[in-house]
Amino acid sequence: MIIESSHQVPRTTLLDRFPVPKNFGVAPESRIGRGKAWPAPAGATRVKTFEIYRYDPDSSANPRIDSFEVDLDDCGPMVLDALIWIKNKIDSTLTFRRSCREGVCGSCAMNMDGTNWLACTRFISDMSAPARVYPLANMRIIKDLVPDTTHLFAQYEMIEPWLQTRTSQPEEERLQTPEDRENLDGYYECILCFCCTSGCPSHWWNGDRFLGPAALLQAYRWLIDSRDEAKGERLDILEDPFRLYRCHTILNCTRTCPKGLNPGKAIAEIKKMVIERRN
Amino acid sequence: MNKRSMRSPLSRALGLGSAREGVEHWWIQRVTAVALVPLTLWFTGSTILLAGAGHEAFVAWLRRPFSTVLMVLLLIAVFHHMALGLQVMVEDYVHSAAKFALLTAVRLGCFALAASGILATLRIAFVG
Amino acid sequence: MTDHATKRPRPLSPNIQVYRPQLTSVLSIGYRISGVALSIYAIGLVVWLLSAAAGPEAFASVQGVLVSWVGQVVLFGGTFALFWHLCGGIRHLFWDAGYGYELRTIYASGWAVVAASLLLTLAAWAASLIMAVDR
Repeated sequence: MIIESSHQVPRTTLLDRFPVPKNFGVAPESRIGRGKAWPAPAGATRVKTFEIYRYDPDSSANPRIDSFEVDLDDCGPMVLDALIWIKNKIDSTLTFRRSCREGVCGSCAMNMDGTNWLACTRFISDMSAPARVYPLANMRIIKDLVPDTTHLFAQYEMIEPWLQTRTSQPEEERLQTPEDRENLDGYYECILCFCCTSGCPSHWWNGDRFLGPAALLQAYRWLIDSRDEAKGERLDILEDPFRLYRCHTILNCTRTCPKGLNPGKAIAEIKKMVIERRN
Repeated sequence: MNKRSMRSPLSRALGLGSAREGVEHWWIQRVTAVALVPLTLWFTGSTILLAGAGHEAFVAWLRRPFSTVLMVLLLIAVFHHMALGLQVMVEDYVHSAAKFALLTAVRLGCFALAASGILATLRIAFVG
Repeated sequence: MTDHATKRPRPLSPNIQVYRPQLTSVLSIGYRISGVALSIYAIGLVVWLLSAAAGPEAFASVQGVLVSWVGQVVLFGGTFALFWHLCGGIRHLFWDAGYGYELRTIYASGWAVVAASLLLTLAAWAASLIMAVDR
């Protein structure tokens, strides 16, 4: 009932999806159809069914849900291990991004059992039966579980994620006290997996103009960097009814961050800065 | 969707640039909210105490200067807060040309309702 | 490179159709719905005041609707919407000041808002029933 950290998987489920029609407000090209069922190889004893979103851009078909039976005795404990097992043993066309397999690169971010997380740090044993694996919510899909993150990275570029100074370059580093450096803790660790932004309902409805928690958290990271000298200009870029103020403190972002960061708090601090500079 | 623009992703994200405003709306929404906490509690308490009362008792209660002032303040705060809140909702969910019509309707509607409520209150307080 | 101008657009992955309802999003949409409901009740408040200004007959007819069982159900819903929005609003004001963003606090304060809204609604209605009976 009380979630202590974002790593905590909910124990009870009252509703696993909002009571809206399955294809509610969905454009024709995005409607999901029935897919294929892929049984487990013979002799498998511990089997779990995975329902996975598939989309083939080379065919003219709509996206579909394929059902895979995974032999749990033959694959590792994480959802990413299951996906790799399926790709190796069952269907080599299953496509997904992955790299570090330890939760630090952000490639394998996807929606599992309704929440966004990294596939490499989500235990199969924490998944429901059948396990549901979808791509990150509200993203244009290139293929299967691979989303097009171009716009999200463009929004990140918009907040100018680099040090901006006016004082001339010092002989050595720009110095920071340990307290100054501590201000960045909880913000610099962001791996830009975009679980938060693609889980934000405000970004679903206004993602073309609302920056979203990931970009705003990084904007805050640069605002509170003691070495940065462009706070005013950064706040000018952010102070906009859509770029910043579409955040209504829904807090899906903080709930879903696979690194345990707090975008909701960062955005609140940005809003406080905006108030403070005019009072 | 056959017409594809050659616009860069950064240009699309930048849009028309930052409006450099938005904080006023946010601030006034919070100020009216703070005002509404005691005002709505007073209103709820008063309607509980007035439960079952007739027209005369209601008018007598509203004519008291304290009640008149608080009722007017309540109406101002409620309709300002409501106008700002509904504006945010329209901006969130309406993306067609109807947006500007709805925003105008919300603002004018709330102003008309506030004016009507305040005038009704003052009429009861001063005329009876 | 395939020409996207002539191919169909890429599909959009499902959002609200599949995303898990969590205390965060459910309380947030409930808060917004209570705000919309209160907007309608605010119109009712003005109607009520106008009827009182118009005279005893107009007021009596409006009161007649309010004391009918339909009116009482509507008022009960309005009281619940008011307390939900009030308690949720106070929670929002704490967030705006920068407090209460740890997940444990978000969840605890969320459940507190649900409980407080229900209790305050029941308390208000119990009090008003006692007042109406005493009169």
